[in-house]
Amino acid sequence: MDFSASYRDATGATSGHNYELEVTVSGHVDPETGMVIDLKDLKELMEREIEARFDHRSLSDDTPYFRDRPPTPETFAALIFSLLDAALPKGSLYRIRLSPTAHLSVEVTR
Amino acid sequence: MIRVIQRYDFSAAHVLARPEWTSERNRNVYGKCANPAGHGHNYRVEVAVEGDLDPKTGRVLPEGMIDALVESRVLRPLDGKFLNRDVPEFVQVVPTAENIARHIWDTLAREVTPARLASVRLVETRNNSVEYAGDEELV
Repeated sequence: MDFSASYRDATGATSGHNYELEVTVSGHVDPETGMVIDLKDLKELMEREIEARFDHRSLSDDTPYFRDRPPTPETFAALIFSLLDAALPKGSLYRIRLSPTAHLSVEVTR
Repeated sequence: MIRVIQRYDFSAAHVLARPEWTSERNRNVYGKCANPAGHGHNYRVEVAVEGDLDPKTGRVLPEGMIDALVESRVLRPLDGKFLNRDVPEFVQVVPTAENIARHIWDTLAREVTPARLASVRLVETRNNSVEYAGDEELV
């Protein structure tokens, strides 16, 4: 999924990115559906948990989590992992990969 | 576990051939890559480090640290060079993608504290890349 957000860095300067988010879930293939997870459900969950919270918003101003910690790619990726981990079936989130630019990615696993 | 991956580009020429082998043997092993005139690639390097977040900075490593390390230790020595001739490491060691990835790993492995170097991925062409994550047995 792609979304866009802004933030203020340590110097107080405001910047922003088009973020690319890749979510990997793992689990057994349901013998009936042949799927690990219904991608429509995953997409809706990502829209609700991530896009609705962050797209076209400021991490620094609109997200309480960043009131007392700097909004770096690492802290943002850790927040996304915990939000998705709480919303997905227990233990099914394997990894998220957040890419603020084409030259930088942050991966979070359990 | 948090892993930060940064990507860099450089261009270099190389020949895949062992100096002590005959040109016929080099041609048999390395094919057209053994052409003594050399050929070049646009290489992409992906450096991955793992570590704990510094609670104050929210980063695994200080801002710009990997950029500065890769610039001085990897890009400047390799970019625009004929690896076999211009880089001491590759005068004797054949600069295959595998050996270049391992060279970059060896160059960076001890420099990324307090994080840990997780892997070096070298993309040589869109059809081939090498990923190296260290080899304890060789250390």
